[in-house]
Amino acid sequence: MSTMTIGGSDLDASWFLILGAILFIIGATGVLVRRNPLVILICIELMLNAVNLTLLVFSRQLQNIEGQLFALMSMTVAAAEAVVGLAILVDIFHVREVEDVDELSEMKG
Amino acid sequence: MAIAIFFVAALMAVLGAVGVVAFRQPIRSVLSLVVVMVALSILFLLLTAQFVFVVQIIVYAGAVMVLFLFVIALFGPARELARTQLRFQSWLSGVFVLVLLGLIWSMVQGIQYRQPDKGTDLAFFGTVQSIAVELFTRYLYPFELTSILLLVAAIGAIYLSRKKIDDL
Repeated sequence: MSTMTIGGSDLDASWFLILGAILFIIGATGVLVRRNPLVILICIELMLNAVNLTLLVFSRQLQNIEGQLFALMSMTVAAAEAVVGLAILVDIFHVREVEDVDELSEMKG
Repeated sequence: MAIAIFFVAALMAVLGAVGVVAFRQPIRSVLSLVVVMVALSILFLLLTAQFVFVVQIIVYAGAVMVLFLFVIALFGPARELARTQLRFQSWLSGVFVLVLLGLIWSMVQGIQYRQPDKGTDLAFFGTVQSIAVELFTRYLYPFELTSILLLVAAIGAIYLSRKKIDDL
């Protein structure tokens, strides 16, 4: 029952899920590999978007609207996260230039 | 037709995502992310999520990305250092990512799909009306909670970016 009839042709839900997995993993790679705090925030946005895609796929496959509502909620959370994260970064950039997140380790115990 | 649209949009999304990680300048990463957002919004439309499609374009590709561009424009394109300070980091993250990919792959293969819910009108599914009916009746309480979340985020952003007393 994983096929969905869209516009007269049958698409498999697992194609969308695998695409979501690939995007999520590229985002995770970015968070692990990149050094710039701004780019790390961008990669987190990418991961959130990949999860949104899977929510919408299951919503469509079960023909249940609740997945779409949850995707809207997670967009709200992502927007709030971007705003607060960027505000913190702007505050840090006021003090000094940061090229590497590992420089921000003063609060280490 | 839908299959062709899916594969074109999927290719766009994957190439954009690779661009986000691979470009050295943050401004190019942000513009690649806009490509990913637009490609994903096409997929949302394919999944009959019209309202989420519009919100994706307006909120993500519009508002959030402009916010990122503003911060980059204000603080200059900080170029990335080629070398990392932690040894083995890229090697270890490669292993971690491969394990994660295998895990998610096996999970996708093992999904047991439930029968679709009965009595859903697909012509009505995902429209503004169908979302509003659920959002303002059954899910009114979580909806109001998100407004509090946005208020908290706005207050936090204003507090963090205020002018300090000793700057005056």
